[in-house]
Amino acid sequence: MGEERKPLVRAVDMGKRYGDFVALHPLNVEVHSGEFFGVFGPNGAGKSTFIKLLTGQLRPSIGQIEILGIDAEDSPQKLKANIGIVPESESPPSFLTPAEFLQFVARLRGLDNLEQNVEHWLDWFGLQEKRDTMCKDLSKGQRQKVMLASAFIHKPKLLFLDEPFANLDPIYQRKCREWLLDHVKDGGTIFLCSHVLEMAERMCNRMAIINNGKVLAAGTVTGLKENESETLEDVFIRLVGHSIEEAERNNEEGVSNEEE
Amino acid sequence: MTMSTTTIVSQDWDEVVARTSETIKEPLGTTSADVVLLEPQRGFAAFSTTFRYMFREEWRENIDFAKKRQVVLFPLLLALVTTITTIGLQFLVGDSAAQSSEMDEKSFTWDQLRFALHLPLLMFSLGMGTFAFRGREAISQRDGNKNHLIAAPAIQPLPNSMAHYAFFAKELMYYAMLILTPIILGMAIGILLGQFDNSVSTPLQWSSLPWTWIAMFTTIAQGLAISFLASSLWMRGRPYTIVGPILVVAIGIMAGIGLFDIDFGLWGLAIQREQAVWMVIASLFGCAMVGLVSSVLILDDFEAKVIEHEDMFEPTYARLKFLGKSDVRLLVAKEFVDLRRSGALKKMTVSYSIPLLVLLGMAWLVDFAEAPIPINLLSYAPFLGFFGFNFYSWLTALDSPDFMNGLPLSVPQLIRAKVVVYFIATSWISFLFLVIMAWRLDEWGALPIGLIVMFANSIYIVALTAFLMGLRPNKAIFDGAIMTWFWIGTVLPLLALFLLSFTQGDTEFYQNWLSQVQEDGLDAQSVSFDSEQMRQGFWGMLTVSLGLIGASGLLWKLMDRRWGKSAFDN
Repeated sequence: MGEERKPLVRAVDMGKRYGDFVALHPLNVEVHSGEFFGVFGPNGAGKSTFIKLLTGQLRPSIGQIEILGIDAEDSPQKLKANIGIVPESESPPSFLTPAEFLQFVARLRGLDNLEQNVEHWLDWFGLQEKRDTMCKDLSKGQRQKVMLASAFIHKPKLLFLDEPFANLDPIYQRKCREWLLDHVKDGGTIFLCSHVLEMAERMCNRMAIINNGKVLAAGTVTGLKENESETLEDVFIRLVGHSIEEAERNNEEGVSNEEE
Repeated sequence: MTMSTTTIVSQDWDEVVARTSETIKEPLGTTSADVVLLEPQRGFAAFSTTFRYMFREEWRENIDFAKKRQVVLFPLLLALVTTITTIGLQFLVGDSAAQSSEMDEKSFTWDQLRFALHLPLLMFSLGMGTFAFRGREAISQRDGNKNHLIAAPAIQPLPNSMAHYAFFAKELMYYAMLILTPIILGMAIGILLGQFDNSVSTPLQWSSLPWTWIAMFTTIAQGLAISFLASSLWMRGRPYTIVGPILVVAIGIMAGIGLFDIDFGLWGLAIQREQAVWMVIASLFGCAMVGLVSSVLILDDFEAKVIEHEDMFEPTYARLKFLGKSDVRLLVAKEFVDLRRSGALKKMTVSYSIPLLVLLGMAWLVDFAEAPIPINLLSYAPFLGFFGFNFYSWLTALDSPDFMNGLPLSVPQLIRAKVVVYFIATSWISFLFLVIMAWRLDEWGALPIGLIVMFANSIYIVALTAFLMGLRPNKAIFDGAIMTWFWIGTVLPLLALFLLSFTQGDTEFYQNWLSQVQEDGLDAQSVSFDSEQMRQGFWGMLTVSLGLIGASGLLWKLMDRRWGKSAFDN
């Protein structure tokens, strides 16, 4: 028996419900160092709830979450200081400039070399020209870059990204993708939520597919395929539903099961 | 079993509940993989950082709305008005020393003037301090195009309570900077003019300026802190949402009828009277503590609750037949659904009713016939409309209207819809208040004109607010040009109606008219028409009210010109 490697993320029986509606069925999850782990699913599958629970943005209705040795419920502030979060659609504060927002975030995290860090990430994302423009006047893509920079600024061991490339142009998509892959090679860990399956094939070494708040399958990208000719899209459709009608039927069944 | 790769497994809810109901929380054995964990800023360091950036954010937001010139103009105007008032003080309290023995013979005593300074300041700050609501709105709208630092705790290492406390402090500093300091500056200029020009004099002395500043600062701090506390408690739900308003009404009535010394209620006034350092320290410490308790009551709750609702839009739309088939009807229906679903209708109705209940309670307990000024039913009517400003401000913050930019709608339509919603949502409260008041004061005869005055004012003040401030009334308060027009547009008619109402103190005119009508029908003749002042006052009030209705119509029409080309943005 080999030496047991401790995980960076561990959730036990973690579930979320709103009254009768179960947003995420209880699940156990472990994520280890050097993993690029993706959670994929259709719209409304529970991906964002999953990531919000792990990052201390939501309190679980049941279960326990521990990340980097920090209890997510008891010490959300310390947890947020040591991870990077990029939410699906949140903008940076409208009336601060990108430079100011990065300074604010760096200060809150107690970072040294504040100016150096801010300048580096403004350069990296090509935001120097817009450094003094209020975030509300930036394009959606530029705002997304500011959010990514605020999550990368302290080079966290663990990053939680929810649809991180939604508004980025192809150049910065590639640049970010390469940075993230290098980060994982260096021992970093990425937790990614998306419904873009191409990202799983390009980046993730392990993935899970969820629907109606339940994990339908998990494993390596190739392991989820039944045969070599099957694409990830085929896997997704096989698990979630062959057609829109079937997907809708699955959703309805999910709802009626919850009602029962 | 050794687990060294990522695993994820779903389970059955009931099974987990049954298995874990008595499980004690134990460490789950995760690691930081030899990375030294960052220690986030805490305590004063976190407060200081947040306060600094929030201060900048507020400045930018004001400039974005009002442009730099207007933001600077507002304090200048305040200073100018205060300078004139300072010089005019000699005519209000006499030009002798402040504590003159002759002061009782003058129109106002110093004490009355101080009270008249601090009470409106307190009322203003009470209206502006509902920070728990503002924080919640910012958090619930953080996924939209606009975001504020008060919503930062959702993903940044900052407790929600700290963000709210910094917000409270930032607001207080802004009011001190843009309202209180210009007022003191105006007083200083007034005194200075008196020293250079013998024809100008003021009873104010240099030594009273620091005390006036600190006293006003305390009053604003107190109002903001109390309002902050009320909103924090409200966010905690029952029993606070029931006990809180009852307590506020009870305290208001007790203060109004003098059951406790007004100094206990208005700390700033007490400071100005007594000029005692210990009072300043105690009061500011008290305000800071109330603010702190309010912040601590704010939970780290960033949930957008998933609740299924029955369709409310169509039934609401159907009930609004009287609005025809216009787009405004659609928007009014949407606003009502927002009001109900967000829980804001309850919140707004309570906050609108509280001051009215306090007035009613006071009317129950005090015989106003003995009051120094002849307050009667008609004196209340003009002020009912004034509460509309707050209600309209809240209406504009309910939902982000950005999505309407892609719909065939215009900003004036949305503004008009909000005015209509305000009127429908509040007019029944005002109506009820006036009817009960008429019954209590036994002034049934004055009720019809009272209702006309009340409705005219309600429509006019909200129409004026909407016309001048559009979808961002909260940001307009530091816009010099807008506030000047708002001041002229509200204070002058309001004052006119209030003063004219004193001519109607003896309601015999109406009572007599009523009884004559009952006896003689259409041949009735009032025997009290000999009171020329009363008759003129009556027609004056009616004329002003009709003028306000006309002005509201004009503002309604001009809405397109002012806001027609604006984008939906609050």
